[in-house]
Amino acid sequence: MSTPTVDIPYLNISDPSFAMQSEELRNAREASWYARTNYGIAVLRYDEVSKLLKSPKLKQGSAQWPAHNGVHGGLFYDWWTKNLLVLEGEDHHRIRRLLNPAFSPRLIKDLVPRFQALANELIDAFIDQGECEFIRDFAEPYATRVLTILLGIPESEWPKIARLASTVGLALGVTFKRDLDKVEAAVAELYEYADELIKDRQANPGEDFVSRLVLASRDGDRLSDEELRNALVLLIFGGMDTTRNQLGLAMQSFIRNPEQWALLAERPELGAKAVEEVMRTNPTVTWVTREAVEDFTYQDLFIAQGTTVHLFTQSSGTDPLAFPNPEMDLLGEHAPHYGFGGGVHHCLGHFVARADMSEALPLLASRLADPHLIGGDEWLPDSGNTGPTRLPIGFTPRG
Amino acid sequence: MKTVDVDRSLCDNHGQCAIAAPEVFRMNPDGVLEYEPTFDDSLLDVVEEAIDVCPVQAIFLKD
Ligand code: HEM
Ligand code: HEM
Ligand code: SF4
Repeated sequence: MSTPTVDIPYLNISDPSFAMQSEELRNAREASWYARTNYGIAVLRYDEVSKLLKSPKLKQGSAQWPAHNGVHGGLFYDWWTKNLLVLEGEDHHRIRRLLNPAFSPRLIKDLVPRFQALANELIDAFIDQGECEFIRDFAEPYATRVLTILLGIPESEWPKIARLASTVGLALGVTFKRDLDKVEAAVAELYEYADELIKDRQANPGEDFVSRLVLASRDGDRLSDEELRNALVLLIFGGMDTTRNQLGLAMQSFIRNPEQWALLAERPELGAKAVEEVMRTNPTVTWVTREAVEDFTYQDLFIAQGTTVHLFTQSSGTDPLAFPNPEMDLLGEHAPHYGFGGGVHHCLGHFVARADMSEALPLLASRLADPHLIGGDEWLPDSGNTGPTRLPIGFTPRG
Repeated sequence: MKTVDVDRSLCDNHGQCAIAAPEVFRMNPDGVLEYEPTFDDSLLDVVEEAIDVCPVQAIFLKD
């Protein structure tokens, strides 16, 4: 409780100009393992992020989001307060156990040829022009259609799914209360989709992903229809923008590191390594939020029950104490990053995201030489989840 | 009886194995993995699930 207030840096993390990859943040990380912010504390170094991310003294920090915004009921509220991301303890573990088998890496591997065909189809459509808007022409359709492949929805439905999911996404913005009607309508429409899918697979179960969810059982327990549709909406929501943003950031990273792009073109087997290096040095999820379940002291810091704790991903992934050579290096050996979070809420879809991105990046590298920015790029702020929303690039077609 | 081994140089204490197979894996109060290397054949299914879900693929079955 006698925490020294001198020397502890302060960061205004909801300022739109707040930048993760900045002198300000590097100086703060050098001075201290944590910073105070306008909204809880921020953990900046690798060791501390790694430990606190999995600490039993902390729980997921977003459960109260609708309530903080004055929303106490309705479809979105019910969906949000019962989804895996905010459930804790045995309620969380029970759902996670029932969802896990469908996400087995062995099953995801079977989808790899479809990921490759999709990437090539999208590249074919713009390659001859020597330029593209990378988000509109690749990252967004790729991320969304991967999900339709996984869920067994016709791929032609992707624009509709993308639109619905981004409407639900308004719920995480500052205008949540104002957009509530639109959000409720989008949740209702996604529910209809999910219900149809569930009914169809219950009647005609196969070997596909949704059938596995529908048939999943353990110790005589299974998912109810309501739990199934809650989970399907969570997968659509949690898998789409994240993958789109991460692919956009990957392109930014490689534009900054052309020799690494050339290396990837030559050695496509480095695709998996490329994903890890991009997510370590340029992650879309800039922080993971936790909340203290009880009073405790960590190192020199007293953390009161209810305190919000932001675990910074890019800052921890480039911490010189853990990474003496923090720059992106596809041939380097680096400790794991926390771009997929960690602990009991570790991303459920990471095998899917890793598999689809590690196919996309080497294919892009082998066909688009010397990618460069041509102006007109637009970006999300660095608070929460970041990435380009528009990324016009030029390149030299290859092969 | 069967035997399972966790490569401690890889394990990052995410605790997903303890969710999948609590009969064999548990997290201690400091958040560090503890496990029972030998287990009954009847637990093979859940142990294989733990092997699958480990985010860093640190768990191996020994025969
Ligand atoms: C590059 C793409 C992705 C990134 C960066 C990402 C990141 C994350 C992060 C950081 C978390 C943890 C949040 C927390 O602890 O507070 C998480 C959880 C989750 N992710 Fe992902 N994700 C990605 C792709 C996907 C995909 C493709 C799916 C589904 C198909 C998915 C489904 C989920 C689910 C269901 C959770 C909640 C898990 C739980 O609470 O037990 N994610 N993700
Ligand atoms: C409809 C579904 C979802 C909604 C409405 C939603 C809502 C939110 C909210 C309210 C925040 C806090 C924003 C802030 O504090 O500025 C947030 C941030 C975040 N969300 Fe989501 N989320 C959804 C799904 C997911 C899923 C499935 C994942 C996992 C991939 C995820 C990962 C994150 C992460 C990592 C952040 C940034 C930091 C934080 O935890 O506050 N979200 N989201
Ligand atoms: S799931 Fe893997 S990383 Fe996590 S505690 Fe178990 S063995 Fe270790």
